[in-house]
Amino acid sequence: MENAIKINNLTYQYQNQTTLFQDFNLTIDPGQWVALVGHNGSGKSTLAKLIMGLLTPTQGGITVFNQVLSESTVNDVRSQIGMVFQNPDNQFVGATVADDVAFGLENNEIDTKLMPKMIAKTLEIVGMSEYQDREPHTLSGGQKQRVALASVLALQPKIIILDEATAMLDPEGRQAVMATLTQLKEQFGDALTLVTITHDMDEAALADRVVVINDGQLILDGTPAQVFSEADVLHHNGLGLPFSGEVVAHLNQKPQKYLNESELISWLSTSNK
Amino acid sequence: MAINFQQVNFSYGAGTSLEQPILFDITANFPTGQVTAVVGQTGSGKSTLIQHINGLLLPTEGQVTVADHHITANTKEKELMRIREKVGMVFQFPENQLFANTVLEDVMYGPINFGYSRSDAKNAAEIALKRLNVSETLWEKSPFELSGGQMRRIAIAGALASNPDIVVLDEPAAGLDPRGQQELLNLVIELKTLNKTVILISHQMDHVAQIADQVIVMHEGKVAAQEAPEQLFNRDIQWFTDMKLDLPKAGQFAEKLRQQDWQFEQRPLTIKALTDLINSRGTTHG
Repeated sequence: MENAIKINNLTYQYQNQTTLFQDFNLTIDPGQWVALVGHNGSGKSTLAKLIMGLLTPTQGGITVFNQVLSESTVNDVRSQIGMVFQNPDNQFVGATVADDVAFGLENNEIDTKLMPKMIAKTLEIVGMSEYQDREPHTLSGGQKQRVALASVLALQPKIIILDEATAMLDPEGRQAVMATLTQLKEQFGDALTLVTITHDMDEAALADRVVVINDGQLILDGTPAQVFSEADVLHHNGLGLPFSGEVVAHLNQKPQKYLNESELISWLSTSNK
Repeated sequence: MAINFQQVNFSYGAGTSLEQPILFDITANFPTGQVTAVVGQTGSGKSTLIQHINGLLLPTEGQVTVADHHITANTKEKELMRIREKVGMVFQFPENQLFANTVLEDVMYGPINFGYSRSDAKNAAEIALKRLNVSETLWEKSPFELSGGQMRRIAIAGALASNPDIVVLDEPAAGLDPRGQQELLNLVIELKTLNKTVILISHQMDHVAQIADQVIVMHEGKVAAQEAPEQLFNRDIQWFTDMKLDLPKAGQFAEKLRQQDWQFEQRPLTIKALTDLINSRGTTHG
């Protein structure tokens, strides 16, 4: 089967300095939602930059939809990947929300007649239609990130990478962005591969698959339920559990397997009555 | 060094046709040696409030007292400089303000500005870097080579280097991983034991419940509450909805259990309090 992203024996070294990745392998299937988690400095953002061709591997290769990333293919590869960064203020160029979405379309030489419809459609997907004439700086952080997501979506990428896109948001903004991602995944299904880079385990719990890295090494890889049952490994790597997992760790009587929050609440309510 | 707000009003463009009122009749106090958390939704006036503490903004009406200094609409810049020496301000994402060639130079910048000699400034910077657990091997490096978490600690060291009596931290833990967040909370507790007046702006109610002595809730430019976290977080759930304020995660979890007919006398605010309640119920009824 075709892979969305295939990382093969990757080695990456900062200029003559520490080796971050050594013989690192990771394969992501089309349509998967993968949460890439690790503490600050674990190498997760470096990995995203390598996939985007912003950094060049010292050894090994990266393949995106069967295309090997190289100097000659980097533009093709990038056209398939959309990226949303941490700081919502660093990614705006347009005078209005709609202009901002148009900017990417213009760069890709989309027919101007088609643009208004495409802009309206993507703003609708992220729930920002009524803000299309607003100046971006008047929006809240969460709204800005949803516009950034719309700008990326307008280019119809096969893969979207969000690099700590909620880290600078307040709880309300964070929730709005995560709800938008969940809904995107439902709407696009296998046509959209999602990689969310985070150290917030409650966010990682929403993904299909959780990949934990530390110092450029793969520590854990599995479904949220599998990864979150390894509490000691996560703590040892500077990470926590989703809140429901932390609760279970303190219970005298524990459920047999990892439960998410609503499952845990109903388990507690039936077993303890 | 205590801070008092007495009936402070603040407007941008006061006296012009574009006057935009932001703060209304703020009376609040920040006691010495305590951690005061300032919470409220984005746009509620938190940042405007704290910018009055070192005179970055002057009250349009009313008065702010910092120790024995009074700040009013007419306070002169020279007086404000003396107050600013006593207030360490750590803004959101302070790593964006790093600029010097080396970590040490960056942290020395504040003390030098306040008139320290180079050798005194170096001593002060070293103390601050050690307090923030910044390894000595990094001191001569460029701050821009470091990770986000390290840059954050260096920026905070810069604000603490002049040994201010008052420390204001605006979302200091945002974007840090769990370990980095806990380190910051430990730093706040350490500052408190040094008898500093600590003011913490935060959206993370778990942090507030863990370390604040009192909480000021801002809502639409007014003080909606000023009380201890145990008292605040036991208010009626509807109040939190109205204020668009979260409960600590344990409190949120307890509310969901309550919907399944669980009963709690006190709302648990920590995982331990929550699980103690669940465990005790398990043994009596299980």
